[in-house]
Amino acid sequence: MTTTTAGAESPPGVPVLEARELSKRYGRKTALDRISFSVPPESFVVILGPAGAGKTTTLRLLAGLEQESGGEMLMDGRSVAGLEPKDRDIAMIFDNLALYPHKSGFQNMAAPLLERRMPREEIRRRVDAVAAKLRIAHVLERLPKTMSGGERQRTALGRALVRSPRAFLLDEPLSSLDAPLRFELRAELKRLQREEGHTFLMATPDFTEALAVADTVLLLRSGKIVQAAPPEDLYDCPADCAAALFVGSPQIAVLHAELREGLIHCAGLALPLPAVLEEAAEHMRGAGADGFLLGIRPENVRVLLSFPSAPETGGQTDIPGARRHAVGQVTDIESLGLRSVITVRCGREQLRMLCSAAQRAQIRIGQDLAFTPADLERLTAFDRRTGMNIGRRTGRRTFSPCFNPQ
Amino acid sequence: MPPRPLTLPLRTLLCCALILMLFPIFWLFMTAVKPPTDWNASPAIWVPAEPTLINFKTLFDPDAIREYGVGGVSRSAGDAVFGSLLASTVSTLISVGAGVFSAIGLSRYGRGSRSAPLVILSGRMFPPAAIAVPFVIIFSLLGLIDTYAGLIAVYIAVTLPFSTWMLKSFVDDLPREIEEAAMLDGMSRLKAHLTVTIPLIRGGLFATTMLVFILNWSEFMFALVLSYSNINTIPVQLAKYVTATAGTLYGVQAALAVLAMLPLVLGGFFIQQHLARGMTFGAVKQ
Repeated sequence: MTTTTAGAESPPGVPVLEARELSKRYGRKTALDRISFSVPPESFVVILGPAGAGKTTTLRLLAGLEQESGGEMLMDGRSVAGLEPKDRDIAMIFDNLALYPHKSGFQNMAAPLLERRMPREEIRRRVDAVAAKLRIAHVLERLPKTMSGGERQRTALGRALVRSPRAFLLDEPLSSLDAPLRFELRAELKRLQREEGHTFLMATPDFTEALAVADTVLLLRSGKIVQAAPPEDLYDCPADCAAALFVGSPQIAVLHAELREGLIHCAGLALPLPAVLEEAAEHMRGAGADGFLLGIRPENVRVLLSFPSAPETGGQTDIPGARRHAVGQVTDIESLGLRSVITVRCGREQLRMLCSAAQRAQIRIGQDLAFTPADLERLTAFDRRTGMNIGRRTGRRTFSPCFNPQ
Repeated sequence: MPPRPLTLPLRTLLCCALILMLFPIFWLFMTAVKPPTDWNASPAIWVPAEPTLINFKTLFDPDAIREYGVGGVSRSAGDAVFGSLLASTVSTLISVGAGVFSAIGLSRYGRGSRSAPLVILSGRMFPPAAIAVPFVIIFSLLGLIDTYAGLIAVYIAVTLPFSTWMLKSFVDDLPREIEEAAMLDGMSRLKAHLTVTIPLIRGGLFATTMLVFILNWSEFMFALVLSYSNINTIPVQLAKYVTATAGTLYGVQAALAVLAMLPLVLGGFFIQQHLARGMTFGAVKQ
């Protein structure tokens, strides 16, 4: 073991885990391309990305299971280069859990303590305590194959928790569970992490999971970090168009828009330029272009069941020429239970919007439907060519630089 | 999958197959207890009227059979049994022992050199006859000819690619995360492989050991060309029961063959439960 013992405090500001320009290549294929990030003490950082983005590779590099091709990894500010997995004081929960199939729940959970030559009574005490906390005391004498999915999951978690390592790496730990159990365990993970002050780094392809538990989300795509931000910023101010499409369900609508005479023209709308997109307007003037992509989240579009005779201006006189609502043809209705998603076609553009069950009852596929963007300050703009977000890059909440402690 | 009840045509087919497979073994056992007069009687005698153990006795006392007026083999089969046991056991243990580590190495750390397993397997593609003569020459120079050390070395060289290749398929089927979890639990790589990987591929290990042992046990050509007088194995001894005066001593051959089956039957019996699982080549997740 290293000098870092369980529960040791690092100096304030020093991240528990840090990657600097970390790269990994398999032959000619680049799995990770110079990524840098840090995981502060007692935080819950989530690596979010589609399959093949490099999430698992990142965790395996940090755990010492693979050799990095370039860059540096630090734990509590010290380089871990060349350290074997057993010397890194990291626990990892694999997506297939990797319980010892021939050992009981107790033996599985006791394994890391046995390896550390802890006295028998102390092992018994610790395992029992963790088992009680995870509510798996009843499976301690059973083999993994006789446990339910949730019990196996908790046993794997318990094996990590008994030894309070410096950091926990979780590789899609909930992916094999069905939805209700996943929600339950997700909340439990977050509670454990917060109450015990653990440091978690979790990989997941599921943005709802990431948004639900993360303090900071690292959005990974093709081996690069696209965005590192708190969940709210990731949702409200995605780094680029693909990030916006990846995070959020139902998906954001991305429309072709043009800026003319201070108005955003798209899908039959002519919207006044909101403050949040002033930078985008600057950007386009600089680039000599006036076309861009406008992102509108479904929950930011209001269904208007009766076509309004007067423009919706909130009682104020509007900018001349502004059209805050438009009409499109309903092409699809999808029920989410409490609310429904209405897909509307406007010329070549397609928009999605949420409506209530009461509204849903009055809408038929094929009919014309009027709609209006609810909050112009929540629109996003992307460069038509690069897809980069050209509007304001941080949310209305002040940006907390927790992933970059300098 | 629950066993399907057998339909009548299926039963008939199975019976035919069984008779076809078991008949040589039946014939072998019968011949082993036939007196020399019954060996190649015509018409064939299926079950001897007076079963005798003279053939078995002749194995270890070559002149015992002279009371029937046949004989001509002076060498006892005792050293052949000893030689086969020694060469097969030692070479199998070393081959499987080295094979399990090369299998783990190839499966877990062999990335980048994807052709290495194939190169190893290509060692098996030589027809043994093509390399037998070079072996004789080289071994003569090294003084390894007509020694058990030499024979064992050849057996290891021939079966190591096989055991590596076969064990690799079992290691490949074991999720690597299980041993990686052990490493994160605090084990060194070596300890994780010794205490996690190897016990978990136990079934495959038994199956491989069994098959490699059978290969070595029944090997004939190398044993023949590499032995003069100091070493002997059962397959070589079997070929020696051809005499100028009495022709082939079928009954004695059969008796030795029955003896040669013993370790395989016993071994198979003791590891059958592991064998059945190992034979699925790890297709079923454990």
